[in-house]
Amino acid sequence: MLNRFYLWVLFLSSLVLIAYTVFVTYQEITPEWKKYQVEYKELLIKEAKDENIRKKVKAMDIKLQQIYLGVLNKVDRCTSCHMGVENPLMVNEKVPFKQHRGDYLKNHPVEIFGCTVCHYGQGRAPNRKEAHGIGRDTYWDYPIMNLEYIQTSCALCHDLTFLKDRGGEKVVAGERLFRQKGCMGCHKLEGVGGVLGKSLDGIGSQPIAYFPMRYVKGEKTVAQWIREHEEEPRRVVPDSQMRVDVTPEEADFLTTYIMSLRSEEIPRKLRRLTGAKMPEEIKDEGESLYKMYCIACHGNGKASVFDEAFKRTIPAIKNPAFLKVADDKFIRENMSEGRAGTQMTAWKAAAAGLTEQQIEKIIKYITKDRPKERPVPFGFALFKVNINHGEEIFKSRCVACHGENGEGGVGLNLRNPVVQKADPEFLTITVRDGREGTAMISFGSKDGGLTSQDIADVVGYVRTLSKKKYKSH
Amino acid sequence: MSSKNRDKTEISRRDFLGLASLWAAVLPAIAFLGGMFRMVKPNVRYEESTRFKIGTVENFPVGITKKLEDKKVFIFSTDEGLHAISSICTHLGCIVNITEWGFQCPCHGSRYNQNGKVIAGPAPRNLSWHEISQDIDGSLVIDAAKDVPPGTIFKLKA
Repeated sequence: MLNRFYLWVLFLSSLVLIAYTVFVTYQEITPEWKKYQVEYKELLIKEAKDENIRKKVKAMDIKLQQIYLGVLNKVDRCTSCHMGVENPLMVNEKVPFKQHRGDYLKNHPVEIFGCTVCHYGQGRAPNRKEAHGIGRDTYWDYPIMNLEYIQTSCALCHDLTFLKDRGGEKVVAGERLFRQKGCMGCHKLEGVGGVLGKSLDGIGSQPIAYFPMRYVKGEKTVAQWIREHEEEPRRVVPDSQMRVDVTPEEADFLTTYIMSLRSEEIPRKLRRLTGAKMPEEIKDEGESLYKMYCIACHGNGKASVFDEAFKRTIPAIKNPAFLKVADDKFIRENMSEGRAGTQMTAWKAAAAGLTEQQIEKIIKYITKDRPKERPVPFGFALFKVNINHGEEIFKSRCVACHGENGEGGVGLNLRNPVVQKADPEFLTITVRDGREGTAMISFGSKDGGLTSQDIADVVGYVRTLSKKKYKSH
Repeated sequence: MSSKNRDKTEISRRDFLGLASLWAAVLPAIAFLGGMFRMVKPNVRYEESTRFKIGTVENFPVGITKKLEDKKVFIFSTDEGLHAISSICTHLGCIVNITEWGFQCPCHGSRYNQNGKVIAGPAPRNLSWHEISQDIDGSLVIDAAKDVPPGTIFKLKA
């Protein structure tokens, strides 16, 4: 009886095995590409001009196609389905038989460049899903690139000067915006730039897994992530401090440029770089430098603005009232060393990477509109400072903007080293005359109601703030 | 007697089950073995294909000689048509140079005439001629694995 039972088990499980074998065999002999190749062959037979060609088509083998790219150390099997990429007869056919658009393949023969060097995707995969690498379960870092951003690949081997009128318009426009919007105020590129944001070197080559797609509304691609992050930084990265203001078109251009920042090195033999990265006027002018590194935060520099993400006021550095009191030395120190405790980066060569000459050029540009007349000297050294009296005045007049302990709010953080080490003469003049265009009124005037002695006392008190303990929360 | 007869001609129920199970097990085994042997010959290899495209007819005006360094082949375009001669010396595999009278190997001085026939030096065989054909998309294809007898010319059609 038992014997019989086992026989039944063997019989039934063998039936299952047979069914599975049939299924596997069927899959093995009818891969996805075979279907396309048969269809392509029929198409060719239909289009064949004469008997000779028809004979050739009929003799064509149906087999997995492969392009071996020795120089690039790749193999691409894309032509197993995309059979007509090089065939001029296929110009009006549907994908995947369609001929490659434009005359790009003329100078970039498929035999030498393959497909994935520009289009990304998994060249070795023999089916559509894996080859295009779309979806989380394909585990492929570089899914096929959206055609909207395909020109980013051109910049791998060509300079922007070259691409300008040869199909790289978006990259070029993006590069210009990248400089004019001051992206490098926070993002380093080739070692130069601020430190608040991430370095953007090679960002276009980063695997898709590096980009959390949770808050991305559109397609889950790296380009879309970057684009949405430009449009609404805090939706995509909730604690982002990014200050950016772009129109949808600008976002498109910027994304294209940023996606072209890649780390892959195409072998010298195949690329055409001359080193001329920037397509236009160069850039070491004060104004363009100001745009590259300062404009993202300081804007036009005429009025100070309170930034919600920074939680502080960004000073108006081109405001004549500021320039009247701030001498070049003070500005230079602020720029080179940054302002500790704020978002202001130290721009010296050892930190954010600007050369001394570049800093001088920016200073020259900022101080272009400095008023001729110098402020009336205050003569801080002549006063005998009463710190206790200064504290009383501070508590009644200053804390509303500068905070209970001088930690800043609408007003500047007075505890930071730059203020603490600043020339007291400069501070007293600022309190006396105020800062036009900001909330800092002139306390020495009739409305302000402080005497020169009061001002000296309060500045004396402010200069002791750094010695007092204060815990930020 | 009759029962013995039946055993011989017909299969008993028990035997049927046993035999069916056996065959049901053997069939997939054969299929899987077949699959395994199928794997011995890969669909494609991770290596350079011997077939390669060399462009269209327009790239070869009459009188032109092309040296494809990577592919180790010379292509000659004459009045009669195209022919491709391997540039690998049959002696030790150096790449031969073109001269007025044919080919000269820089390594050990083998010389070949314009048809690749050995005329001097240690080379044991003539340079081989590769097959040229035209693909359906109009481009010319050389197959370095397929040799043709010297003197075979690929006729260009206007």
